[in-house]
Amino acid sequence: MTSLWSRRSFLRNASLGAAGAAVAAQASQGAYADEAAIERARNPRFLIVLSSFGGANQVDAFLSRRESEIPNAATLNAYPDSLVQNIGEFRAIDLKSPTIGAIPASFTANQSNFVRKHSNDMMVITHTGTSVNHFVAQQRSINGNAAWLGRTLQEATALTYGAGYPIPNVHLVNGTGFTERGTDETMPAYVYGERAPTPNLWPLSLDGYKGVVGAPSRGLFEKARAFRNEQLDPSSAFYRTFSGSQRVKHWTSIRGDALRGVEAEDLITKLMLFPDSEAMPLTAHGLKGSEIGQKVREAFPNYEFDPLEAQAALAFMLLRYGVSVTVTLGPDGSAVFKKGVKLGEGGLGEGDIVNPPISFDFSHQANREVQALMWNRQLMIADRLITLLKSEEFRDGQSFWDRSMIYFATEFGRTRRRPNNAMTFGSGHELNNGSLIVSPFANGGHVLGGVDPDTMLTYGFDPETGRPEPGRHMTEPEVYSGIAHALNIDTSGSALPDMRAMRRSA
Amino acid sequence: MKISYHLGLLSVSVLVAACASSAPSPQTDLAAVESPAPVASSDPRVKFKDGERYLRDLSANLQIPRDEICKELSQYDCMTDAFRIVLGGVEAPNLLVNDPIESAALTSPIALDRVALHVCTNRVKLDQEKPEQAVLFQAGAFGKKDKAKKPDPAWMHQTADTIYGSVLMRTPSEQEVQNLVSFYDQVRDGRAANSKEVAADWVTLSCFAVASSLEAVFY
Repeated sequence: MTSLWSRRSFLRNASLGAAGAAVAAQASQGAYADEAAIERARNPRFLIVLSSFGGANQVDAFLSRRESEIPNAATLNAYPDSLVQNIGEFRAIDLKSPTIGAIPASFTANQSNFVRKHSNDMMVITHTGTSVNHFVAQQRSINGNAAWLGRTLQEATALTYGAGYPIPNVHLVNGTGFTERGTDETMPAYVYGERAPTPNLWPLSLDGYKGVVGAPSRGLFEKARAFRNEQLDPSSAFYRTFSGSQRVKHWTSIRGDALRGVEAEDLITKLMLFPDSEAMPLTAHGLKGSEIGQKVREAFPNYEFDPLEAQAALAFMLLRYGVSVTVTLGPDGSAVFKKGVKLGEGGLGEGDIVNPPISFDFSHQANREVQALMWNRQLMIADRLITLLKSEEFRDGQSFWDRSMIYFATEFGRTRRRPNNAMTFGSGHELNNGSLIVSPFANGGHVLGGVDPDTMLTYGFDPETGRPEPGRHMTEPEVYSGIAHALNIDTSGSALPDMRAMRRSA
Repeated sequence: MKISYHLGLLSVSVLVAACASSAPSPQTDLAAVESPAPVASSDPRVKFKDGERYLRDLSANLQIPRDEICKELSQYDCMTDAFRIVLGGVEAPNLLVNDPIESAALTSPIALDRVALHVCTNRVKLDQEKPEQAVLFQAGAFGKKDKAKKPDPAWMHQTADTIYGSVLMRTPSEQEVQNLVSFYDQVRDGRAANSKEVAADWVTLSCFAVASSLEAVFY
């Protein structure tokens, strides 16, 4: 370890200034790998995994089909012709329903607005998975079924671009396979996901001192830390006995300069989404809300009661302030109701259910209603994120969105059969599905693959040209590879296939 | 670990990196004083003391009720509400976190420092409010008449002993006592040596250093 400064270090600091990421390279100078890491960090690509718990089904959205197009439409999940819109290569379903299956809660859902607004960056790819177990399939949606040494897409992104970022890989949703740690244990510690489970209080864990009322001065606190690290611990019998422990080594490494790097960015302030209030008495504790808090709260006005909106707000701030290169968010299994809704008092009003229990998986009860409601929710979150990312300049006239990708990861599709001409019906788990990817790096404006009218199962495409190939099914490693390569992640030596068709440019 | 530490430094800001460059890194420091101790374990296995266990231990040893010992923003329990996951806890019903983190997160040491600072600040504040029930910051810092020009050595020794006894449940070595005693000069920081404020800061920060030490965090 050297503390020398290189010209590149300063150049890099200057160049990342626009992103608010002050970066100082103390890497071993002259090491090619370090220089390459610095260069990649200067030109990052951001991966936003918008996880879609429970099976976001493409034939209920962008690959939907009209009854007139399907020979056995009465028993397959084809929609009344009037509900299916064509927008470029995509389909969209706008649905208004008085109930969600047996739940008397009306709602209005819209997919067409998003498609019209973002179709140039939208790419839908078909694929067929290998598991209908939620957790296993979720994992495989982000690790390609161990396609590349067991690394998740988030870890691969953090490994490629995250060397200059305080917390490169942040998981805002927890307890799902979408945020399960990969199995490649050889990567640097910063690559693995950092859990940020509570957007309101998590920023407090980014500074060991600020907001602790009555404590001695910051300067003295830092002296105490140095005293502990340099004198107290080394002289203890405990350290002399257990200093070889990997856990102890890890702890002493991350509580050093890496810790001070996080604190120096004042992330406790920058990422404080919540304003001063009775519930969050920041001012009384020497704290304050983020400068961009108001803007973000306006974009996600339900951040106080809707966990997904709070996650999305913090996700944007993490990218905007140069803290992370990949963020994972999404609904979990909890039902979310509109603020102020009282249950058990005579039915629910329009839009009172923001998120049904078990999210997309509530399709077991009411496939079409749940798919419509959940797709509407996910697309609304994505639209607001994109709008925010477009509104902030990264560097040289480029916006943050110009460097981003949203991957709607989901574990599987839903079964295609339905009772004769039923509008409301339940569906099961189905390996066959597809995924939505929205990004300037994706082969936007295109559906890759197609839908077999006899079964309504999707079929694949030629990896080079994107030409539809009935009878072919794209695999998990192919999807993984296509996303990784669109993010310009170097997978040399991995034997992953080249999925040229999934990239906008070579 | 070496690699992660190394690359983690890439995120350090200009200001902090400049400061850091003048201060040796922790790993280097530890290595520098490390000696081929006869007690070194050939198979060192330690466990992280998760946040709830950590706070319960401190609650019992420092005589502060568990539900009062650490509050973020004066209302959120440090463990249950604020740092449960980063400090190795689980929360299945709402957060769906069924397993503790496999290794310490980047924010874990920061959160731990914060909790330790809360607790020690809290304890010394209570000691000052009710001296007759003081646990750490006891009377006699500047002699029986409280007029000595510098802290009474016996009081300092006793305080160091109390801090180790309360936090780590053991008697400190003479070297450890001397370390804490000499730390007083750093805390003084240009202020009068016989300032009660300096003495309180010293007790608070000594408590913090011991409560956030490796021995307190792992078992």
